[in-house]
Amino acid sequence: MRLKALTTTLCGILILMLLTASVALAVEQKLVLTGSSTLAPLATEIGKRFERQNPGVRVDVQSGGSSRGITDARSGLADIGLVSRALKEEEKDLKSFTVARDGIGMIVHKSNPVRELSDRQIIDIYTGKITNWRAVGGPDQPITVVNKAEGRSTLELFLHHFRLKNSDIKAQVVIGENQQGIKTVAGNRNAIGYVSIGTAEYEASQGVPIKLLPMAGVAASVENVRNGSFPLARPLNLVTKAEPQGLARRFIDFSRSESVHDLVEAQYFVPLAR
Amino acid sequence: MAEAESLAVTRRWLPEALMTLAVWGSALLVAGIFLWLLGDLLWRGAGHLSWSFLFSSPLNAGRAGGIAPILVSTLLILGVAVAAAVPLGLATAVLLAEFLSSHSRFGRLVGLSLDVLAGVPSIVFGLFGNAFFSIFLGLGFSILSGGLTLACMVLPILVRTAEAALRAVPDDWRLAGAALGLSRTAALRHILLPAASSGLVAGLLLGVGRAMAETAALIFTSGYVDRMPSSLFDSGRALSVHIYDLSMNVAGGDGNAYASALVLIGLLILINGTSLWLAEHWLNRRILTP
Repeated sequence: MRLKALTTTLCGILILMLLTASVALAVEQKLVLTGSSTLAPLATEIGKRFERQNPGVRVDVQSGGSSRGITDARSGLADIGLVSRALKEEEKDLKSFTVARDGIGMIVHKSNPVRELSDRQIIDIYTGKITNWRAVGGPDQPITVVNKAEGRSTLELFLHHFRLKNSDIKAQVVIGENQQGIKTVAGNRNAIGYVSIGTAEYEASQGVPIKLLPMAGVAASVENVRNGSFPLARPLNLVTKAEPQGLARRFIDFSRSESVHDLVEAQYFVPLAR
Repeated sequence: MAEAESLAVTRRWLPEALMTLAVWGSALLVAGIFLWLLGDLLWRGAGHLSWSFLFSSPLNAGRAGGIAPILVSTLLILGVAVAAAVPLGLATAVLLAEFLSSHSRFGRLVGLSLDVLAGVPSIVFGLFGNAFFSIFLGLGFSILSGGLTLACMVLPILVRTAEAALRAVPDDWRLAGAALGLSRTAALRHILLPAASSGLVAGLLLGVGRAMAETAALIFTSGYVDRMPSSLFDSGRALSVHIYDLSMNVAGGDGNAYASALVLIGLLILINGTSLWLAEHWLNRRILTP
């Protein structure tokens, strides 16, 4: 008897699920964005504000990396791709729209006495020619090189800036997201890594034991990314397959307008110049 | 003489003491690790936990606000996974344990494929789910895709534990059932399944635990959207994905990540407790009291 009751309940639940499912087909207007995990939280916040101003519109944001943003925008799986770097030559068939800027800075543990690294030294550390902090004026300790995983735009930007190939890099730790980089370096006195400057500045101000190193003599600060003097910076882009129309156009215009500058800053990025 | 005797006593006594120490020490270590983990979560997360955290939507990329939509999505994903995996898994286990002999070639083929599936890393299930449910079947990023992907993932655990539980029922019971003229289905319903219930529930719990902890398989199937889902076709962020995003991708999200992790563990304990209680008071009793 009880088993029968159980079966009936289960069937009831299934039918209920199917019923709710059919209601879903009545969605009005939906915009799908996929790509860069760096951009995904910002895009989600912009999307929420856009939804509030445009009733009946839904903005769905999916994360997964810039490469995925490019692929999904091309295949049409996404209306808009999220790409946290400038488009490459072979990607110029896509249209890109910058919504914010972000700087990439080198970080080391706060206790590390090294105050500055030249570009040459950074290259030598990442290619394994320098493996001890002593060689660059630090303590006699092995260097833990933290690198980003394949497909991450921070990695591509870093490689491009220092004219390196990923196969040249001898890394001890390979990480994915930005915060993971900060946590890895904060937990290892001998580590060096590169992360988004805005979040690193925020985390350092919260007492996380990391230190941003200047690059080519320019201090790694949000201010220097804003005024364009910091050498390693990237645009955060929305990309579309063709010239955007209708809802996508409106969303892109909204994302580039001043009404989202507070959201951009809340995610520790630099808004476009006014 | 006396010295030699005492040496012999020591020789007998020492391994015994070492063994006792090792057994108790290991058990304490295991319990200690769990308590440390729980203590760490409580210490850092409890301050962020409140009723409004459970019943409000996330704000500012999850740094502020609560987890209500994420909690709902998680339970829906879990519901879909269990609803799909339990009937399939139970039926397969019944086939393997009751209908086929342990030497049957087909049975071994099914068993082998299950064991291979059990060893597949979850990211592979995620990519499969994305390719099959989301794109090929056109379900898109949805709770349904996520739940069905998880169902595929927990099936091997479910089938294997259920099979073992059924096999553990003594053959005498089957024979007695047959002698009383019970049909196979009746014997299964009235004797075998209730008798195996604690094993079945244990398997279900293992599956649910794995499903709740899953991040990699869900980020590509049920997705990243943290809005309250209005149907199973909506994308919905699971708790584990939320915790991962807050701790690895959102600066300043650690507090809420700890609080969410605490909720996840609480949910797991709640589900475990309820299922164990159900197994004890409901299924088992069917056999003991006629």
